[in-house]
Amino acid sequence: MGQEHTTLEVIAPSVEEAIAEGLNQLGLSRDRVDVDVLDIGSKGLFGLGSRQARVRIKIKGADADLAGTGDSAGSEAAPVSRAAWKENEIPTDEEFILTTSAEVVRTLIDKMKVRARVTAKYVAPVDDKDERMVQVEVQGDDLSILIGRRSETLNALQYISSLIVCKQVGHWVPLMIDVQGYRQRRERQLRQLALRMAEQAVTTGKRQVLEPMPANERRVIHLELRNHPQVTTESVGEEPNRKVSILLKK
Amino acid sequence: MKDLVEFIARALVDDPSKVQVWQDRGGSRVRLELKVAKEDMGRVIGKNGRVANAIRVLLRVAAARENKQATLDVVEPR
Repeated sequence: MGQEHTTLEVIAPSVEEAIAEGLNQLGLSRDRVDVDVLDIGSKGLFGLGSRQARVRIKIKGADADLAGTGDSAGSEAAPVSRAAWKENEIPTDEEFILTTSAEVVRTLIDKMKVRARVTAKYVAPVDDKDERMVQVEVQGDDLSILIGRRSETLNALQYISSLIVCKQVGHWVPLMIDVQGYRQRRERQLRQLALRMAEQAVTTGKRQVLEPMPANERRVIHLELRNHPQVTTESVGEEPNRKVSILLKK
Repeated sequence: MKDLVEFIARALVDDPSKVQVWQDRGGSRVRLELKVAKEDMGRVIGKNGRVANAIRVLLRVAAARENKQATLDVVEPR
């Protein structure tokens, strides 16, 4: 019995529909299965070049306890999960963006052979000019490999993920990926660094040039010192060696 | 590794049926070649190679998990 009841591949016009269809067939709710997105599909223009999405659905803990009871467990659970799905049968754009973001990041990490848990949520804007953004949180053991030197890997993962999500959703989505709270910790460090270097610029009267940083980190420095009474900031140099420079106001 | 590059490329291009990834067999240094439709070259390379470089960074992690080093070339279709 085993295999054919524990995993299932589904093809549907969108990832969302494929997952819904798969859960329907299995008679399970979303939290009982792991979903592997094989192909996110593409909407195409006016139906041209559109492609169906393909997902693989695997029942959690299937190997252990589902071998003999697959059929009965399935049919008993079915009515419940169908009802549960009905409630959000037409997923709103926001929910769709969240699930897509999480699935894309999950798939990428999985294919990088790293084991981690992935969740997505909306977070409030940092300042008034910002939009609400999708934050994808990655958690697990020893994930420093996902951050890399100067958060190079994390930024690459974030860049590729947002390109894919944006293509799938059909419009730009502000997306941030954090690994084990790294971005938050790093932001706190950067703010402290900014203030310390500003102080040094004031006491020495000399321009202070920071280490090369990726754009999102330079932004934290600029924002922190935006309203500083005595110094201003600017970025100098070319990527990937662009640095923030702190100088006295004239 | 091939799997990763294939997934990313298919997700970014307009014509996924033309995506081909070739991976050489061999020792600890692995070479991958990514081929996409001509019209999709820009999508997998990006401005100043930004997309291709990001793919390389992720590929490096996948390779490191197998104690290998990998290089990725994006090649023009014939």
